Amino acid sequence: MASVSGSAEKGSGNRNLNASQGAPQVVVVNHILRKTKEDTWKSEELRKHLRASQPENQNEDQKLRENKLQKEKSVHDTDTHKHEHKDRGKSKERTRERERFKSGERDRDKMRERERGKEHQREGGRERYKDKLQESSLEKERYSVPKDKDRESNRERDKKHKRHEIKQTDTQNNLKSFEGREKEHHRRRESRHHLEEEKTRSGERERRHTEKKNSDSKKSIDKILAYTVEESDRAHKLLKQQELDKERERRHREKKEHSVRLGKERLSKERSHKGYEKEKEENHKSKRSKEGSSHGDREGQLAEAIERAKSREDERKKRDLRNSEYKNEERIQEEVNHQRVRTVKDKEDLIEKEEGDTRRKVKLFGFGPYNMAFFLGLIAITEMKESHIYNSNTGFDNFSENYEDDFEDYEDDFDDDEDKSGEERDAEENLREIPSLRTSEIEEIQRAISAENDRICTSLPKKIENEKKEPIMERQHHSVRNSFRGIFMDFQMANQRQSSRSMASKQKKRSSELLPLIDLDFSVSFSLLDLPPVNEYDMYIRNFGKMNTKQAYVQCNEDNLERDIQTEEVETLEKWTQHPAESALVSGGPVNSQDVSVNGALAPKIDSQRLANFLRSACQVIAVLLEEDQVATQPKWKLRSQQTGLSISDSCFQLNTNQPFLHDRKISCLCVSQVQRQTLLSVHGLPEKEGVGLLNRKSIICVWNIWQPSSPQKVLICDSEVICCCFSPNKTTLVFAGTTDGSLLVWDLREDSRMHPQMVISDTDWTFRVPTFSTDGILNSVNHTSPILAVEPVSTSLYADQNYGLSSLSYQEEMSGPPFQIASMDENGILNMWVVAELQKVDLAGSQTDLGLIPGGKVKLVHSSTMELSNSLFPKDVQQRMPQTLSIKFLSSNPNHFIVGTNIGLVGHGTRHDLKVLPKLFRPRGDGLRSISINAIDFFPFGKPLFLVGCSDGSIRLHQMTSEHPLIQWNDSTNGQPIIALQWALTRPSVFFVLDASSNIYIWDLLENDLLPVAKQTVPSEDVVTMALLGEPEKTNGLLGIVLGKSSGQVDIQYVKKKWALPQPEESEKLRLLLLQSF
Amino acid sequence: MVRRPVLCPGRFKSSTVKECIRAILKEKLANVQYVPEEMPELTQSLSETIKDRLKEEGFDRYKMVVQVVIGEQRGEGVNMAARCFWDADTDSYAHDVFMNDSLFCVVAAFGCFYY
Repeated sequence: MASVSGSAEKGSGNRNLNASQGAPQVVVVNHILRKTKEDTWKSEELRKHLRASQPENQNEDQKLRENKLQKEKSVHDTDTHKHEHKDRGKSKERTRERERFKSGERDRDKMRERERGKEHQREGGRERYKDKLQESSLEKERYSVPKDKDRESNRERDKKHKRHEIKQTDTQNNLKSFEGREKEHHRRRESRHHLEEEKTRSGERERRHTEKKNSDSKKSIDKILAYTVEESDRAHKLLKQQELDKERERRHREKKEHSVRLGKERLSKERSHKGYEKEKEENHKSKRSKEGSSHGDREGQLAEAIERAKSREDERKKRDLRNSEYKNEERIQEEVNHQRVRTVKDKEDLIEKEEGDTRRKVKLFGFGPYNMAFFLGLIAITEMKESHIYNSNTGFDNFSENYEDDFEDYEDDFDDDEDKSGEERDAEENLREIPSLRTSEIEEIQRAISAENDRICTSLPKKIENEKKEPIMERQHHSVRNSFRGIFMDFQMANQRQSSRSMASKQKKRSSELLPLIDLDFSVSFSLLDLPPVNEYDMYIRNFGKMNTKQAYVQCNEDNLERDIQTEEVETLEKWTQHPAESALVSGGPVNSQDVSVNGALAPKIDSQRLANFLRSACQVIAVLLEEDQVATQPKWKLRSQQTGLSISDSCFQLNTNQPFLHDRKISCLCVSQVQRQTLLSVHGLPEKEGVGLLNRKSIICVWNIWQPSSPQKVLICDSEVICCCFSPNKTTLVFAGTTDGSLLVWDLREDSRMHPQMVISDTDWTFRVPTFSTDGILNSVNHTSPILAVEPVSTSLYADQNYGLSSLSYQEEMSGPPFQIASMDENGILNMWVVAELQKVDLAGSQTDLGLIPGGKVKLVHSSTMELSNSLFPKDVQQRMPQTLSIKFLSSNPNHFIVGTNIGLVGHGTRHDLKVLPKLFRPRGDGLRSISINAIDFFPFGKPLFLVGCSDGSIRLHQMTSEHPLIQWNDSTNGQPIIALQWALTRPSVFFVLDASSNIYIWDLLENDLLPVAKQTVPSEDVVTMALLGEPEKTNGLLGIVLGKSSGQVDIQYVKKKWALPQPEESEKLRLLLLQSF
Repeated sequence: MVRRPVLCPGRFKSSTVKECIRAILKEKLANVQYVPEEMPELTQSLSETIKDRLKEEGFDRYKMVVQVVIGEQRGEGVNMAARCFWDADTDSYAHDVFMNDSLFCVVAAFGCFYY
């Protein structure tokens, strides 16, 4: 983690990468870690690497500390590994400067200036060493070595010097280790010497000395290079001094030589600053002369060092030597200290004067390394007492191991120093009190210092890099204070260093603990931006196209392409419409041309249903009128009708049965509707001659309107012979018929004629309607198996009381009318009741379930119940006679009751629900049962429960429902001729008409004569097969017609004379009285 | 069994960081045209702004690295990717892209956790 955070700091320091490029491809790959590794790097290796690089990082990150460390190192090192340290500590700087030298002369000059600045600073310190060296004799070789060293350390890369250097490298290398050791020994011994002095003398002097040294060293604290150089110089010289003797007499000469050497040196180095150099030389000279006495001390030290070098060979000897040296030094050092104190004092005075001047700081700053050296000395002092020698001997060989120990020792010593700081301050005060005697010297020093400061001021700030400048300035600040406060600031620094070091160690420990817990891994690559290249066309459109447009097609001029365009105007017309249509007008608009039809606008609203009804009725009326007109204009027809007039009738006419399909057909049955009295059914039997064609094997029913006798309204056909027929009770829309083969047929007269076969006969369209529904072949379980003799409509009980045949007009308006049933009775006495059901939906495709239904038909019959009249109706004794039912009539006032005529003269009385009724049988007067067929039964139409029975023996019986025997029985009124038909007059209660088999028509008027018929009319020429009455009882116009069906197929209608037709006053009452009398 | 630091409150949330970046980019680059001379300064100021803004977000234990890349929109394809060697449990990053007619700007903010 440490490396991560470190690199992150780096990133934060230089956080902003800006890449402003319009280059076609920009690929930026960021790696957070400073050291980018391959994918294959394993985290273990990484960790190792991180740990290893940790101290380096720390050094790099915190330059201040690094510098200090380096200094400390160097302080420890200087004696032993100066060269090595030089290489290591300053390698960066050197390489950088080397590059600059290569880059150009200008750079070199700048560097030189800067180096000179540094050197100048150094020289203040160096001079003192040089003073020391003045003692020793100067040889060429010896001289050249320090010179080279200077050059090397100062990075002066003149070629001649280089060459020289190459020559010297061997010797130098040999010397390095040696001189390093010497230096160490010397340094420590010196320190120890100070310590001893401290103990033996009054501490003030000693402290003064140390303080002075301290302040000196402080000034060049940052200039490790210079320091090392100086140290090496000194050591080197010391080495040489081994060979030389410690002759003090030669000191002056050496001094001169030395000064000459310096001058030369400077001339070569600092061509541009000769003036300064001269001044400096003067300073040096004067200084040297002033400090001449101090050289003794130096010399003593040197001598001591030399002896120490000798004692390397023999340790015991060395100890002895040291002891002797102490004696010398004690003596000498007093003077030296004194002098040095003075110089320092001078300097301090100067500083006080120049307070506020920043140049001074720079100047003072130059002496920093001495400070460090002094610390080292203190360390050495504490160490030396017991283990100095061992350390010095062993520590040289492997410095890196002892480094840490030394470091700690140093810290300990530092604490000691802190304790002493108070005393040292006192000493400082004492120092100030020392009078400065040589003001001229001071002035000279001042001048030199100011000159140096000026030079530094001009050159340094420009040249020094920012990185370096900042720590320098900081240290200057410290050093300024140090100059006043002595060692005090060093403790602060040390504190800082210590704290930072403890922090570092803490961090290191923490990181070492954390690292194994943290998994560092490569993340997947994040795609930060993927901008696909824009194709050329889009680019073109973007630059030159318009917004929101897209170029779809471009045609160049060469082959101009045109496309036909429809440009004819579209005709428009305004129209309006409305939905739903509120009136006849549903749409319209301005009429702007003749072509536009306006029928839509003017179309009347038509109620088609009403129109149809109107047309139907109007057509009938018109047809009737036309027919009457036709009759009037045809005298033959009229004449004929008149000719056939009977005595009993006022007038008569014939229905035009002279139709080609009705030829040779015998009338078998006539039926008049109860509701629409003008509507008549005539049943025409099978033709007597076998013919071919559609109708030859079919019986025909014609629906007539007596007011339109020229042609039947409708013609119905069926396959089997029809015996009986009837209308539906409420409307004449349905026709029911029973056939000889036991099937019941229904015709729906409302059906569209197109559903039925049509034929053109004699230029006239005829529609022959086939039955809508037939029970033939279906419903075998319940169907009749013998000829149906009677079909009767049965109204529901709901209307029983009013259903006189007159009061059911209210249902005419309705489509279907009230529900009703049809009763059909066959020869075997089976009575079937059928419910007439009307379908709501018409299925033109035919019904799957109702097989008897014609496709598109709406009416069907549903079997309701079956009664076996022969078993239920008659008692046992009668049953033994095997009675045969012939006719059936339902009581109109109570449809649940019906009477059945038999072939034994009896009339059965039954109900639909097998109720017990009395009388069970209506018997004729007289004894026994005779085989008399009941041919006709007719209920009294005026409300009283009376009925007439006409028998085959010619007898006529008038029965009332409550008694078994007849009220009146007329025998032999027809001279024994069987009665065929019998019917009450519709307009007069007391009149009834009887037809016998010999075509005689008898008219009975009970009020006039209750024993014999009042009139008898024989129909001439033809046999009358059946008779029916027409009349409208609700009207008093006296129209009462007798319809006579003749065997020839003709149908005559005779209007009975008014005297029998017009009702008499109080006729019903009279009849009632008559009937009461007849009992 | 490896223990992981719990970072509920101060966790580097990519979404919020992204929102910050987006807002700043919108504000600063809305109507900016690409002028090559001005871009270095703009990237610097942008990165500083974003960094300061992110510091306000209170990712106290994170070392932020903000990278701003501005390029001209000239139709060329650009592909940018980043790869990190870090502790994926704690460290994270957020990035956002801003584009207008003349330039595109990619901002990537990386957060490294201090242990």
